Amino acid sequence: MADNFKISKVGIVDIAKFLLLANTRENIIKKTPAKLIDATFAINENAKALHPAYQEVVVSEVIDHKGAGAKSFILSVKNGKASYFRAGQYLSVFLNVNGSVVSRPYSISSSPAWTKENKYAITVRKTADGFVSDWLLDNIKVGDELVVSAAEGTFYYEELRDAKNVIALAGGSGITPFLSMAYAIRDGIEDFNLTIISGSRTKDAILFKDELDKIAEECDKVKVVHVLSEDKTKGFEHGFITEKIIKKYAPKKEAYSIFMCGPAAMYKFEEGEIEKLGLERKFVRRELLGVTKDIRNHEDYPKSCKKKNFKITVKKGPRTFEINANADEPILVAIERAGISAPARCRSGECGWCRSKLVSGTVFIPKENDDGRRWSDKQNGYIHPCATFATSDLVIEVPNSYVK
Amino acid sequence: MIKYDAVVVGAGNAGLAAALEFAQSGKKTLLIEQHNLPGGCATSFCRGRFEFEPSLHELCGVGPEENPGTVRTIMDDFGVKVEWKKVDDCFRVISTFSDGTPMDVTMPSGADEFIDKMEFYVPGSRSKMVELFDFLDQIEEFVNFTAEPDYDKKELMAKYADVLHVGAYSTSKVLDALGMPAKAKDILSVYWSYLGVDMDRLSFFHYANMVHMYVKSGAYIPTHTSHEISNTMIERFRELGGEVWYNCRAEEFLFEGKKCVGVRTAYGEIKADYVLANINQDIIYGKMIPKTVPIPERELKLSAARNRDFGARMFTVYLGLNKTAEELGIKDYSIFLEETMDSVKDYENLKKIDTNNYSIFLCYNVANPGISPEGTAMCSFTTMFTAADDWNNIPQEDYVKVKNKLAKKIIDNFEEKTGIVLTPYIEEISVATPWTFARYLNVPEGSVYGYITNDWDSILARILTGEKDYPFKGLKHIGTSGERGDGYSSAYYSGKFTAIAAVKEMNGGNN
Repeated sequence: MADNFKISKVGIVDIAKFLLLANTRENIIKKTPAKLIDATFAINENAKALHPAYQEVVVSEVIDHKGAGAKSFILSVKNGKASYFRAGQYLSVFLNVNGSVVSRPYSISSSPAWTKENKYAITVRKTADGFVSDWLLDNIKVGDELVVSAAEGTFYYEELRDAKNVIALAGGSGITPFLSMAYAIRDGIEDFNLTIISGSRTKDAILFKDELDKIAEECDKVKVVHVLSEDKTKGFEHGFITEKIIKKYAPKKEAYSIFMCGPAAMYKFEEGEIEKLGLERKFVRRELLGVTKDIRNHEDYPKSCKKKNFKITVKKGPRTFEINANADEPILVAIERAGISAPARCRSGECGWCRSKLVSGTVFIPKENDDGRRWSDKQNGYIHPCATFATSDLVIEVPNSYVK
Repeated sequence: MIKYDAVVVGAGNAGLAAALEFAQSGKKTLLIEQHNLPGGCATSFCRGRFEFEPSLHELCGVGPEENPGTVRTIMDDFGVKVEWKKVDDCFRVISTFSDGTPMDVTMPSGADEFIDKMEFYVPGSRSKMVELFDFLDQIEEFVNFTAEPDYDKKELMAKYADVLHVGAYSTSKVLDALGMPAKAKDILSVYWSYLGVDMDRLSFFHYANMVHMYVKSGAYIPTHTSHEISNTMIERFRELGGEVWYNCRAEEFLFEGKKCVGVRTAYGEIKADYVLANINQDIIYGKMIPKTVPIPERELKLSAARNRDFGARMFTVYLGLNKTAEELGIKDYSIFLEETMDSVKDYENLKKIDTNNYSIFLCYNVANPGISPEGTAMCSFTTMFTAADDWNNIPQEDYVKVKNKLAKKIIDNFEEKTGIVLTPYIEEISVATPWTFARYLNVPEGSVYGYITNDWDSILARILTGEKDYPFKGLKHIGTSGERGDGYSSAYYSGKFTAIAAVKEMNGGNN
């Protein structure tokens, strides 16, 4: 029939065929033998294995970096299926600390190759106001069980975007993602030239000095320069990481990218130094920093906001909680202190995991933490509570958390 | 006990439209979504100073304000206000004609303009093109006619004899029967990938409907990415009293006998008079119906007959560039780069990573200059896979290498074919694979098109099948795996009209 059909002539057979479309379909269905439906799909299983909602781990080793005031925790994944990651990414650690349900992101300091042995390393350093970090350092021992996220974050080398030469500026524990990158290069997982310029106070306070020196010895794509701010020691640069020091170690003729990870004070200083280098914006990448501390002194903080404590009505699915929040803490912290688990990852306003609806009330969002919000979210009162502060009583709706 | 009149599972395009329809009909409605964002594909993501559009190329069915298409009408009915931008040209395609000569063709929107341009590229094609477009008009009328409830079948047969005449044939067959010149047929086949079925198996009806909408009423995009559409729909839904719970996956449907009475979630059991599920049927019947409820044999047979033949598994490269479109020399909104205009051959090539040399380039700024910050441009490349195989067995440690290699191949091919250089200006890049779509949408194999809409399972055949595809009372699937197939407009339509039927059932007391 099909061979001789002409568009201008109405064939009874064709109309019949059209009207029979449903019957044809029904006949094909009828004729096919019934089979149990297998709703498992390899691609979906791959995606789940690479991005599990959470991973249960056991602390299999604790390494004390005494001079640096830090510890590395070696985490073994209980189900034997550690998800892979890109060197530079972080794990969020989910904890219950004195009734607070909290999470903290820590850069992975081990090689991606370790996931074959179901292991990750994270490194935690003592800080002045590190509520969770200090708790981890004081309490976690071999054999303890923890829950961590899959690898998150976009602070990694991307061959289609970055220069082949990367100058890494590390301050203190900001060395951890670069250690992972150095391992990845040594292990043949990544292919770029990495010059790590690592700032420490003193020679003894250098984190991972032996490890980095060893990698640099084994692998000519990795170079390490130590800059000491307090010590004047032979073989070390002295002072802060200045434009001059960067220029000294950066390639003279080839393009290079700057990757930066460290404390807020360092970012502030380095921004001025990097500006002098006149690099294109695409060649400067910063790891996230967390939320600006001491928010009351932030230049944009609403001065009229004198009340120190606000009431927040938190709706989560069918449940409603009434909690108290301090004006100078991110809303997420108040939620966590009340023992309510809410999704969160980067805690810098960037990743959007904690995206919530502000139903009523007013808030303050520091501009440096507001790059991650979508246009329409800004128009319609969606906030990232990890980087948002209450400036009145609030009603908010938070999503469920998938973490166990 | 938590009880709603209606629960919609999945806040993808169909779920959003369904939820709005329920809420507008005065039903106490809950919308639950597994992700922490609405929209499914219709969303956005931020990298650096860019907010990227993840999926939408152009939306047909919006139409100008004075002559609104289905989507604009649906949105207007809901009171959802989206700021639309018109896409001027239909497409540019760089390929090879089936006679072996090189092809670089740019087609405008508007029927007359389209026909004129076709005559320019393919002299002598005019009369056939006019005939084709008349036919497309008839098909549109036909579709509107059948959309009315209880239309007169006799009148239909008398009025639309020609339409009925070709209804059962493939696009290739009909274009050949029309005597369309080969080169014009090549140009007309560009859109096949938007439906994910080659021209030999693509129902002419389905094709005609889409081309008619794209060419005649033009294509539109939202000014602030698809997240603007989805978020605006959510806000309207909330205004109408609807509730939304994010990160709340439906685990299992609740049943009393053979009737669905709700859904179990992380928050416990939620009872409802009606549940609409924006979920693929293999997932619904494969793992979301309680063991105590037998799955009707017809559903098992239907699933077996479909045999996991899903439409496009997507692969997209998103680029934030530190130069403007003008500086980069980009003039076109969309450029199709195809190895061949033979869609059957293309369909074969798109099964494997190595043989996939197909991509659609977009530069959003051409239609929507403000989409990225001053001095920048936002572009994407999309290709798709017509089989899952190559993405099934990639070890995790090779995944980034595999996706970046393909991304590089696609960008290199574009640079070679157009002479436009992008690579040095990449400030942000993100590469989404079928794994990514599977991760965020939980759709089988990362296919955003649902079951392939080929011959026996075409949209028309599905529509004519009617209620048979919904075996349980109180539960219906909506969205891309439903009768209207893939695409934003189909999904909105599916959600809205399935909800209208559900409301009727609820109010009529048929349960």
